[in-house]
Amino acid sequence: MAVTTATLGASPRARRPALLAFRTAVLRKPGRVVGLAIIVLFALMAVAGPWLYGRLEIDPDAVYAPPSAKHWLGTDFAGSDVLQEIIVGARYVLGTAALAALITAVLGTGIGLVAGYRRGFTDSVLMRITDFILTIPAFPLLIVLSTVWDFSSPWLMGLVLGGTGWGGMARAVRSQALSLRERGFLEAARGLGLSTRHIIVKELLPNIAPYVAMHLLLSTIAFVTAEVGLFFLGVVPFSTTNWGVMLNQAVFSGGALESPDALFYLLAPLSCIVLLTLGIVLFLDAVDELFNPRLRERA
Amino acid sequence: MSEVSVRSLTIEYQTSAGWLPAVADAWLDLRPGEITGLVGESGSGKSTLALALLNAVPAPGRIAAGTVELAGVGDVTRLTGKQLRKVRGGALGYVFQASQNSLNPLKTIGRQLLDLGRSHEVADLRALIARAKDLADRMGLDGDRVLDSYQHQLSGGMRQRVGIVFALVLNAKVLILDEPTTALDMLSQASVLDIVRKVHDENQLSTLIITHDIGAVSEIADRLAVMYGGRIVEDGPLLDVLRRPSHPYTRALIGATARIAGDVDAARALPGRPPDLTTVARVGCVFRDRCGFAVETCATVEPVLAAWEDGGRRRACHVEPSTVLSGASGTPAAVGEPA
Amino acid sequence: MTGFGRRLAGKLAMGLVMVWAVATFTFFLVRALPGNPGDVQYENYILMGMSPGQAQARVNAVYGFTSHEPLPRQYGGYLWQLAQGNLGQSTSYSGVPVAHIIGSALPWTVIPVLSGLIVSFLIGVAAGVVAAVKRSSRWGGLLSLSGSVVAGVPTFVVALLLLLVFHTEWHLLPFGGTSDYEAGWNAPYVGSVIEHAVLPVCTYALLSYGGWLLAMKSSVISVLGDDFILAAELRGITPVTRARYIGRNAILPLFTVLALSFGLMFGGSIFIENTFDYPGLGSLLLKAIGTRDYTLMSGAFLLITVAVIAANILADLCYTLIDPRVRR
Repeated sequence: MAVTTATLGASPRARRPALLAFRTAVLRKPGRVVGLAIIVLFALMAVAGPWLYGRLEIDPDAVYAPPSAKHWLGTDFAGSDVLQEIIVGARYVLGTAALAALITAVLGTGIGLVAGYRRGFTDSVLMRITDFILTIPAFPLLIVLSTVWDFSSPWLMGLVLGGTGWGGMARAVRSQALSLRERGFLEAARGLGLSTRHIIVKELLPNIAPYVAMHLLLSTIAFVTAEVGLFFLGVVPFSTTNWGVMLNQAVFSGGALESPDALFYLLAPLSCIVLLTLGIVLFLDAVDELFNPRLRERA
Repeated sequence: MSEVSVRSLTIEYQTSAGWLPAVADAWLDLRPGEITGLVGESGSGKSTLALALLNAVPAPGRIAAGTVELAGVGDVTRLTGKQLRKVRGGALGYVFQASQNSLNPLKTIGRQLLDLGRSHEVADLRALIARAKDLADRMGLDGDRVLDSYQHQLSGGMRQRVGIVFALVLNAKVLILDEPTTALDMLSQASVLDIVRKVHDENQLSTLIITHDIGAVSEIADRLAVMYGGRIVEDGPLLDVLRRPSHPYTRALIGATARIAGDVDAARALPGRPPDLTTVARVGCVFRDRCGFAVETCATVEPVLAAWEDGGRRRACHVEPSTVLSGASGTPAAVGEPA
Repeated sequence: MTGFGRRLAGKLAMGLVMVWAVATFTFFLVRALPGNPGDVQYENYILMGMSPGQAQARVNAVYGFTSHEPLPRQYGGYLWQLAQGNLGQSTSYSGVPVAHIIGSALPWTVIPVLSGLIVSFLIGVAAGVVAAVKRSSRWGGLLSLSGSVVAGVPTFVVALLLLLVFHTEWHLLPFGGTSDYEAGWNAPYVGSVIEHAVLPVCTYALLSYGGWLLAMKSSVISVLGDDFILAAELRGITPVTRARYIGRNAILPLFTVLALSFGLMFGGSIFIENTFDYPGLGSLLLKAIGTRDYTLMSGAFLLITVAVIAANILADLCYTLIDPRVRR
């Protein structure tokens, strides 16, 4: 047993049924199952929410009503059901986050791969730009941008979030590409006479996909935080029902911090954000174990 | 009298299939003034055996049975805490292979020597440093400069020698070298081997060299022990074993090494792959699947390591020594060197 | 020049380029705003009865450029003013130099951020070590989870929950402003400042605690697997020395996290100061946007960016000083 010597030169990814390995990893710990369940629940909300409750009912007799059989989480300042608002509001929040994540994935992976593959001048230019994006504090930038950019459209919101948030992904993908290169993986592929396109798409991408998935999940949390934060601060016009608008109205109009009336109106969106974060973090653990064997416990 | 006597040592690792032996019933003696080479392919258990000499089998492994008697100290496998700590470094010096970073990258060599001295409650640290410089100088290093250097400022061959300085600076009488020539170029290999021989002779050490490279060890060792599948399958005086290998595996190993066989074309590798913890045979001889001499008994009874000739030779094989020596069987054929 | 000096010069040059890029960005941003604020201001001055020359001089004093000049000249004039430390005049505080307003807000951001950073560093690193060493136990797992969740939960959620618990429910801590008393070196004032700072500092600390914990955990795990630790054990090094070896090697990569932390915290300052009604840079930026005070907005944003860049350079220098492999 060569216990002290590191295993070198193994193929970067063992070809095994990915789905099966994924299932095993998720099922290993109950927390991961819970995490996946939470993510699926919110995704369902986002897809089906607005169909379930097309228009929010307003009940002027029940303003800031406490939780009851009729209104599980109470009502808001206009007498709308808080639970309904949460469910309907999920679409904007998760939809924009998904769009932003998609843009991040494309930009981050593309730039990271090209930088890691090309190296030299291209690499240093691309990484300077990435450093720049990473250094500028993202949230103040969004706030400043809100003076010129119309954030009320979910498309535009997603576009800006994704356009400013790809730096971390690009760095991660690049370092992964470099480490694959160091393991002699690329030289081998090139030695076989494979085209650059083939090497990037067929060889590098599959090996990098897991890292992209991990960073995507993490950046989704950041995107949800940022957009809800923009609404919470009130720098973006309230055009739709969403969690950020709820938070803003609970704190700054409902006086949730002074009187207990609006407490549920405040706590409901807060809990949703915490729950979504928890779900993603718990689920990440499984992804992490699949692709980061060093963190895996021995024995 | 042996400096270190390993008796029926068994080391197990916990796997998903339960506790499996990585080293089974090993007997080995290290004598003063004698360099023992322990050869085997990766996964043969040689590194595990070496670490067990310091009672340092890494988790999830454990010493399941047997003893490691150290002259003047007792059974190392029974030691714990401070006593064990004193033996490591104090009596047993262990040298990592050159490609491994065996030194703290953030401290100079000199400061790490001081840490070592304080850990072992050396009263005269100045004398310790002087001895370290002396050792370094005698190995062809510039002692003053090396002690002021960080690890990243040293080449592989220099690190290897600094590793030996650390192993011997506390006057350890047993020197264990893990793959001392791996990852070094041929010139450095030769000089490291020369240096090992020199410090070994000067300090009357009992030295153990663990390697997969039977060619390198054959230039320096006095005795040779061969491991396969967690078992010592043969040992004896180096030249005798090299000239007349009595175990089919030793024979194949020597045959696969161009350096000994004479030229590359004559070298032939073993077909098949060395077993690992989970694939090694539980019953019978561990080598029988790759053996050209295998007989029926080999499948059911495990051969024990037993003396077979005068001159301190032992072997673990059912086949008659004369049969193996004459090579009257379908010798396996393929080319390459075992790694 | 030494390697250290070269590295420092390179970092500074890079920092300057970034500041220039951000300044350029805000310059064009303000000009791109609907109804260019400079033009609007100019019209206002004309309406107030100023001559075109006077109005132009006033606009120039406020924005650092006049929109009636050709673009390159405006841009050059703006950069020239900036290079002299002139950020223009605030429109909402009629005529007060932006640099003054920012100067008085700066300490209320920097001091809580630094205190929070120190607190979270100490706790996060200690927790990270425990989480790494006990990673197979239930407690280690929970500790790691706490780090991941806290690192993921938005700042305003943390701020609101702290406020809800410690102010609304338990009436333990005040919020709003920096103090209940007139400024001065006396016990009630200092006490009140500290009381008002507790919630913001705790929020800052929670904001970066998770990052420290996770970074330290993975760093310790990686160092524990390093050959030199096993080698030191095989030389019979004392457990204390071994722990010191691990600690120093594991903490080194955390300086990259330090750089990230600064950015995170200055971004978080907007939520924290807004939630706790605390008059720092974040509040200022938000107020500037609310009152359409674009010079103040550009100035505050520029300064937040400069602070983050400076912190990054500082973190990198610390790293260089500690790691002999980079120092040379």
